Amino acid sequence: MAATWQNDLTPIGPADWNYDFAAHLLERAGFGATPDEIANLAKLTPARAVARLVRFEGTDASNLPPFDHSGVHDPGLEPFPPSRPAVTDMAKEKGEALGIKVKPSGNRRLQPIVDEFFYWLRASALETNRVAYWWANRMVASPRPLQEKVALFWHGHFASNEAKVRDYRKLLGQLELFEQQGTGNFRDLTVAVAQDPAMLTFLDAGVNVKGASNENFAREIMELFTMGVGHYTEKDIREAARAFTGWNYVDLKFVVNKDQHDDGEKTFLGKTGHFDGVDVINIIMEQPATADFIAGKIYRFFVRQQLSPELQKQLGTVLRDGNYEIKPLLEKIFLSRDFYCPASVGTQIKSPVELAISTYRKLGQKSVPGVPDFNLATGALGQQLFSPPTVAGWAGGQSWITPGLLLERGNFARDVLFPDISFLPPDRFTGGGEIRRVADRVRQGMDISTATMDDGKTGVRAESNLNADRDEDFNTRYGSFRGSQMAVERVKPISRDTAQIRLAKMVLSADLKNTTQVVDYMVHRFMRVPPSDSTRRKLVAFLDKELGTPDISIARTYMEEPLRLLLHLIMSQPEYQLS
Amino acid sequence: MKKNHFSFPQASRRDLLRAAIYGVGVSAAAMPMPMFAQAAAALAAQGKRDGKILVVLELSGGNDGLNTLVPYGDDAYYRLRPNLGIPRNEVRKIDDHFGFSHGMAGFERLYKNGKLAIVHGCGYDNPSFSHFTSMAYWHTAAPNSGEEYGWVGRVADAIAPQAPPNFLVNIGARQSLAVRSQKHVPVVFDDPNKFSQEKFFDEREILDSVPDDRSVDNPSRRFLLDTARSAKDASALVREAWSKYHSPVDYGITGLDLPKVAALIEARMPTRLYYTSYRNNAFDTHVFQADVHKRLLTYASDAVSAFLLDLERIGRADDVVVMIFSEFGRRVPENVNLGTDHGTANLMFVVGNQVKGGQYGKAPSLTQLDAGDNLIHTTDFRRVYATMIAGWLGYHDTRPLLNGDFEAFDLFQQRKV
Repeated sequence: MAATWQNDLTPIGPADWNYDFAAHLLERAGFGATPDEIANLAKLTPARAVARLVRFEGTDASNLPPFDHSGVHDPGLEPFPPSRPAVTDMAKEKGEALGIKVKPSGNRRLQPIVDEFFYWLRASALETNRVAYWWANRMVASPRPLQEKVALFWHGHFASNEAKVRDYRKLLGQLELFEQQGTGNFRDLTVAVAQDPAMLTFLDAGVNVKGASNENFAREIMELFTMGVGHYTEKDIREAARAFTGWNYVDLKFVVNKDQHDDGEKTFLGKTGHFDGVDVINIIMEQPATADFIAGKIYRFFVRQQLSPELQKQLGTVLRDGNYEIKPLLEKIFLSRDFYCPASVGTQIKSPVELAISTYRKLGQKSVPGVPDFNLATGALGQQLFSPPTVAGWAGGQSWITPGLLLERGNFARDVLFPDISFLPPDRFTGGGEIRRVADRVRQGMDISTATMDDGKTGVRAESNLNADRDEDFNTRYGSFRGSQMAVERVKPISRDTAQIRLAKMVLSADLKNTTQVVDYMVHRFMRVPPSDSTRRKLVAFLDKELGTPDISIARTYMEEPLRLLLHLIMSQPEYQLS
Repeated sequence: MKKNHFSFPQASRRDLLRAAIYGVGVSAAAMPMPMFAQAAAALAAQGKRDGKILVVLELSGGNDGLNTLVPYGDDAYYRLRPNLGIPRNEVRKIDDHFGFSHGMAGFERLYKNGKLAIVHGCGYDNPSFSHFTSMAYWHTAAPNSGEEYGWVGRVADAIAPQAPPNFLVNIGARQSLAVRSQKHVPVVFDDPNKFSQEKFFDEREILDSVPDDRSVDNPSRRFLLDTARSAKDASALVREAWSKYHSPVDYGITGLDLPKVAALIEARMPTRLYYTSYRNNAFDTHVFQADVHKRLLTYASDAVSAFLLDLERIGRADDVVVMIFSEFGRRVPENVNLGTDHGTANLMFVVGNQVKGGQYGKAPSLTQLDAGDNLIHTTDFRRVYATMIAGWLGYHDTRPLLNGDFEAFDLFQQRKV
C-alpha cells in the first residue's frame, strides 16, 4: 500500500490483495475476525470479497433468531402520557389512566396508576436492554457483519434514545428498519425514518400541528440527517415544519392527521407548492449538499475522520449518480486505493460497541457473554445502544477517548478475561439506593409514608429533597419501588454466561513453540497496530516470568492464566483501540 | 512531575487548620505525604500559593432564561406566555421586576447574600438556532467562524504555556470542545471510582510505564499515547481525592458533577480550570416544559448553592468562581405544546464569594423582538468570558484569546492580598 493511494478512488486489483487487506476490510465493513475468517476472504479476488460483504442478501443468516419478547406491554398504556404529573392529572380528570381505574375511596386512590406508570418506564428500559443484547449477538454471530455495521451507523445517524422514546417496541421497529433498508436507498430510508414512531416520538413530531408548528423535527432532518448546517435558512425550517404538520403515530403505526396538516402553499429551498413531508424530503434530495453530506458521513464512519473536500465531492457524486443507492457507494469505498492507503489503515479509534464486539469476534466467541454485562460495559465506555446522548448521535473519533475512558477500556478487557464472580445482574437486582431503601422498609412492615421518607442529612436541606411527597393521592417513591418490582417479575432475564475462552488451546493449535512466537501471534491476532518494540520485549519478558520458561512445551499444562494476563496487557495497550 | 520535597506554602497550612476546625475537613490533613507533596510541588511550580479557580457549568439544551429569572413585572411576559408564564405569586422575587423560578431557593439566597451576579441579554450577532452549532460557538468563543480549540483550552494555553499536568479538568462522559487545547491534555473523567486501571500485581510494571510516542506518525496512535500519559498523571490523584471526600453538604437530587469538583479542590489538585455540564441536552424543553423545567432549575440551583457551602467548609470559597451559561435561550412566545422552541439571548450567572452580586448588562425588551420572535441580545457573551479571564484569572491580554476587544465587567471584589 502506498501513500500515493490517498484520495484515489481507483479500485485495487487482484495483485494488490492479501491477508492484511482482507483483515482491514473485515475490521471496517464488519467487526474484525479470526485468522481463519480473514484467510478465507483473502483467497477471493478483492471485488468478490467486497461483494460478499456488501451484497449480503445471498448469505444465509438463518442462525440468527428473532427477538424473543417478554410480553411486557399492556393494552391500556397507549398513548403513554409524557410525565407522571400528566398521568395523575388525567386520572383525576377521567377517573382512569393507563387502563386502570381510580379507587373510589380510601387512601392513595391513584397509587395503582402511578405504579403502572413506573412499571412501564422500568419494563421498557429493561426490555430495551434485552433488545440491545439481541442486536449485539447479531453483531457477533452474523455471517453478514456489514448489515449490522450499517445498522449501527444509522442508529448513530438517525439517533433516538430510550430515555425519551420510552417504548422498546418502537426502538426495535426502528432497528429492524435499519437492518432491512440500511444498505438500500437513502431517500427511501429517510422517508421511512421520518414516518417511524420512534423518531416521531423522539423529535416531538407528534405535536407539530397546523397553525402552530414545532420546528424540532424539520430542523434536525435538515441539519443532522441530510444537508448539514449552512444550506438552508430559518425560513426554510419554518416552511418545512408546516409541511410535516399532522404527521403522527398511533401506537406503532404512522398516521397523518388530515385536520392538523397545513395544506397551504409553502416556499422551501426555492420551490413553491402545497408540499407535504415527503415532498420536502424529495426536495432535500435534489440538493447537491445532501449527497455530499451523507457520503462524507458514511466515509468518516467506515474509513477515516479526515476527508478532503475534493474527495467528499467525488463520493457525493457517486451517491447522487447512483440515485442515492447506498450499496454502490460502499463498494466504491471498500474497493478504492484510498481505503487501503496508510492514512486509512489502523487509524480509526474503535467505538465502545466496536471494541466489545471485535474483542468477542477475535476471541472466537459465538455469542455475547452475560458477564460482563454488555450494556453496562459499553455504556461505561460512552456508547450504550439505544442511548445516544443527543439527536446528533455519538461524536465518534477522538471523542471516544478521554484519560478516564482509556483506562476503563483496559478494565473491560480484564472483565472479559477474568469475569467478576460476584457480579449482580442489574436486570434482577434493582440498583438505586432509594428503591432498595423503600423495599427494605416496606418489608419490615412500615407504613408507606414512613417507608418512603427521606434520609435526613445535616445542614441546609436542598429544595428538591423537600418537595418529594406532597400529593396525598399517591406516593411517587412507593410507585417507583413497586413499578420496579413488577418489571423485574415480567421481563425475561438475560443469560449470565461468561465468555468461553481457551487461550492455551489457541496457542497449541497454532503450533507455537516459545514465548516470542506467542506474543507475536497474539499481537497479530488481536491488534491492527502493533505496540512499540520495547513494549513487545516487555511482553515477552513478562510471559517468560509467568510461565517460568520461554518453552511452550514445558508450560503447556498450566499456561491458561498467564496467557490471559498477557492478553489483558495487550488489550490494555493504547494501540488496541485502533482499527 | 518531579517529586521534590517542597515545604507547604503558607496558605495551604492555614487552610488545613481551618479545615480541621470545621471538624469535617480532615481529608486534606489525612492525605499521605508523597501525594500531598506532589500537589504542593505542582502549585509551587506555577509560582503561586493558591491559584484562583474558575468552574464553568454548562446547562445543555438551551435553558429557558425567561422562566428562570422571571420578568414578573412585565405584562408582555404574561401576554406572550399565557400558559407557561409563572404566576407572580409563585416567583421568588429579588426586586420589583424579576424573581427566580419557584424551586430556586438556593439562587435566591445567593443573590440576596450578594454572591450571585446576573448578566442580562447575553448572546451574539446572527445567532444559530442549532444546539450543536450554537454550543460550538460558545465553546470556542468564535460565533460564525471556525476555531479548532475551545476557549477554556486557549485560556489554559495562555496562562500555563508549560502545560503542567492536571491544570485543566473536564468532568463528563466525553471531552467538551470548550477544553480542547493546543498544549494541555485535559483530564477528562466521569466516575472517579472508575478512573483507574485495575491491574494484577504482576502486571504493574508494564501497565504503569508511560508509553513513548516519539517517532509515531499515526496521528490517532499519537493521540492515544498522549491520553495514556495524561491518565497516568491524574488518575491516582483523582481517585484518592474522591475516596477521602466526605461532605455533609446536601447537594440535592443530582448535585451535577460539582461534588467531584469540590473533592478535587479539597485535595488541592493544581487544577485552575474546571469544566462540567448539566448533561444530555436536558434543558431542551419543547413540550410540556413547566414541571420538568422547574425541576431542572431546582436541581441546578441546589447543586450550585451547595457547592458554595461546601467550598466554605473546605476553606476555599474565596478562591473559586462558577460561571453558568447555556447555548441559547428560548423563543419568547410559548409554543402550542406547552413548551418553548430554540431562541437567542439568555442570562449568564457568575457565582462566588468574591463576586459583586447584582445585575449587569441590560435586560432585552420583550416587546421589541427580532423577526422570529426572539430576544435581541444586549451583551456579547464574550464580555463575560473576558471578565472571567481578566477580572478573575488575572490574565489581561484577552484580545488574542477572544479574537476581539471585549470589555470586562467590574464584577469582582477588590481582593485583599
